[in-house]
Amino acid sequence: MKRIKDFILGLFRVYCREFKLILSDKGIMIFLLFLPLGYPIIYSLIYNPELVKEVPFVVVDHDRSTLSRKLVRELDACDEARLLGYAADLPEARRAMDSRQCFAILEIPEGFGRKIGRGETGAGAMYCDMSLLLRYRGFLVAITAVMQNMGAELLEKDINTFVPLAGTIATGNLLPIDSIPMGNIRSGFDSFIMPGVLILILQQCIILALGMAGGARHERASVVGYDPHNNAPSVLATMIGKALTYFTIMGLPAVFMIHYVPLIFTFPMAGNLFEEILFITPMILATIGFAFVFQAFVTERESVFVCWVVTSIIFLLISGLIWPRYDMPPVWKFVSGLCPATWGVEGFVKMNSNGARLWQVSHEYEMLWWLTLGWWVVAYFVQRFIVLPQTLGSRPRRREASRLKAIRES
Amino acid sequence: MMGGEKRGLWAIMVRSLAQIARRPLMWVAMLGLPLFLFLFLTTMLDAGLPTRVPTAIVDRDGTSLSREVTQTLGGMQMVDITTTANSFSEAKKALQEGKVYGFFLIPENFQADLLAGRGPAISYYTNMAYFVPGSMLYKTFTATAVYTKAGVAVNVAQSLGVNPADAVPLMQPVNIQTRGIGNPQLNYGIYISNSFVPGVLQLMIMLVTCFSLGEEIKRHSSVHLMRMAGGSVYKAVFGKLFPQTVIWWVVALFMEAWLFKYNHYTMSGSWLWLTLSELMFVVACQGFALLMFCIIPNLRLSLSVISLSGILAFSLAAFSFPEQSMYPALSIFSWMMPVRYNFLIYANEALAGRDIYYSRIWYVVYIIYMVAPLAMVWKLKREFEKPVYCP
Repeated sequence: MKRIKDFILGLFRVYCREFKLILSDKGIMIFLLFLPLGYPIIYSLIYNPELVKEVPFVVVDHDRSTLSRKLVRELDACDEARLLGYAADLPEARRAMDSRQCFAILEIPEGFGRKIGRGETGAGAMYCDMSLLLRYRGFLVAITAVMQNMGAELLEKDINTFVPLAGTIATGNLLPIDSIPMGNIRSGFDSFIMPGVLILILQQCIILALGMAGGARHERASVVGYDPHNNAPSVLATMIGKALTYFTIMGLPAVFMIHYVPLIFTFPMAGNLFEEILFITPMILATIGFAFVFQAFVTERESVFVCWVVTSIIFLLISGLIWPRYDMPPVWKFVSGLCPATWGVEGFVKMNSNGARLWQVSHEYEMLWWLTLGWWVVAYFVQRFIVLPQTLGSRPRRREASRLKAIRES
Repeated sequence: MMGGEKRGLWAIMVRSLAQIARRPLMWVAMLGLPLFLFLFLTTMLDAGLPTRVPTAIVDRDGTSLSREVTQTLGGMQMVDITTTANSFSEAKKALQEGKVYGFFLIPENFQADLLAGRGPAISYYTNMAYFVPGSMLYKTFTATAVYTKAGVAVNVAQSLGVNPADAVPLMQPVNIQTRGIGNPQLNYGIYISNSFVPGVLQLMIMLVTCFSLGEEIKRHSSVHLMRMAGGSVYKAVFGKLFPQTVIWWVVALFMEAWLFKYNHYTMSGSWLWLTLSELMFVVACQGFALLMFCIIPNLRLSLSVISLSGILAFSLAAFSFPEQSMYPALSIFSWMMPVRYNFLIYANEALAGRDIYYSRIWYVVYIIYMVAPLAMVWKLKREFEKPVYCP
């Protein structure tokens, strides 16, 4: 009974001291406040125009017929494309493209209009700059729509020339086609990438902050300006105490990120906030466990920057947001399964964008709890056998150790 | 400090190299992490495009015609019909749970309505919360719908007495082929790796530059460094950073070879100019970081700024979302990142094989990045001689 009481008391002391330590540490506060509050805003603003519109293209029209002009006019009328002008020949058009004035060239060969008039297919080509896939995609969508519209119109007009009465049957749309985007109904880039990125930012904030706090434990108190030692007699109590501190501090920023950022930028918000919070809880816990393990590699406050910042790129690509998880090479699929953010992103996007309920993402939810368990077990051993001896190595550390021992014995 | 130490540029360089060699963190940051990320990005995107996107079909009609449509869809390269749903809501649930990325819906009485000319609509739903599989499905679904429509129209025309050979072009009077220059297969690896890999390199170069300069101040060893340089801060900084430059050059050349030789990404321009670009890019990144450090000579703050800008560069440098479509106030920052120029030169040289004339300005910008910090380095003299560490 007394042991339980001591355990809880130690845990509580660690919690309070860690709180004070964090509040007095500017470096950690940046990770816990500026990063989750400011970074999502900057990031969302970059992509906030959502759609790539009015990308300029140049036309090389060797035909100069009514139909070729109609084709160009209709493409120009599309949201995605904008006519920059006509070029006399392909080299001139290429010069415009090379100097980045336009990003596609539409070439209409001679005889285009005549062929269509004869009832044959009028072919043409559109050359696209491939440096950005979004521009290419825009042109593709636009030209497909134009082709279909013109085709339908011509069909309606010409079918009577083949069979006099056919028009009566074939008028109107024979078979209307509806394309309906789901989840991200505007097909906007911001609405696609940000819900996932928010979860990634949440994970990175926790790991960076805990990493820096772990680095501080290796520094001399005089350098850092305070005594970074905050241990309870039991390693587990220390870990739980600290985890609770971070959990408390991250609570509000986490809600800000999963609820208010989508609200500000009108991202899809099909989910239930309460369920989302329930879902995100094990992700935060698993991430804290992950960060405890990471502390073993941080022997100095600032080295978290050097060795952790770049991992954001890994987590982004591995999360399944950019490249679907089902198609990953097996090694990376396995690695991605070990990252809390992977399941966090998967589940959160499904809930937030596609309106899935908590029980529909039960697989992701279960995986997060398993990861929490797994990382915490590894974290316990890492903290007990690597971090603790490391930080208690030097002379001030040994003094600390004897103090701890005294506490333990008393 | 140590008595009777060596002085001069050479000694500083040797010291700088020894500092790198002694710290495992430097090994990780300069070789381990960049090489791991090169390997990671290229192997991850090795397949080029995600094929066989899981898809559902909702066939509410169940006639020979609707089955034909299903078969057409199933025959498409990009899709894999994993689920046969009985209703819209069932398919929607599968989509919400992430089992499928989209579905194709054939309504009730499809065949009957079609033959009676009542114009039944086929609709397809794509999950655009996942952009890449969503876009692939959109493309495939559109093709299937258009084929179906054409097939139906040919049948109708035939029943009215039109010769089938005449009817086919009638269904597609206009056909514009879209051709991607330099990346006709829409290889996602070419697209992502060529921008993200230099982005990773930029981030690591900038972090290491700032970190190694800041460490001198933090550990108060900058006093020793200044003594070795005979009080010249330019000599000290050059001697400190040049050995790193050489290591980064090796990494950058490896990167170039890795991307364009080993992975066979499109390379249709001049090797000479591309190589020059990579080498100048390394120094430009160091210049950018040095400038930042001169402005904020505080280890943690400058690292925070570098991390923020280095990670934001992946979005700001317009690798995915074009700079022309961003808000003007933000697209300015796009032009402030060295990696933006690396990307532009890559797009001009390697991807499109354009004449060097069109890239000339980007090389000039590299030179500006290299020269700019020279105007600020004097500020470091005081910081180096009287180091103060603020945590």
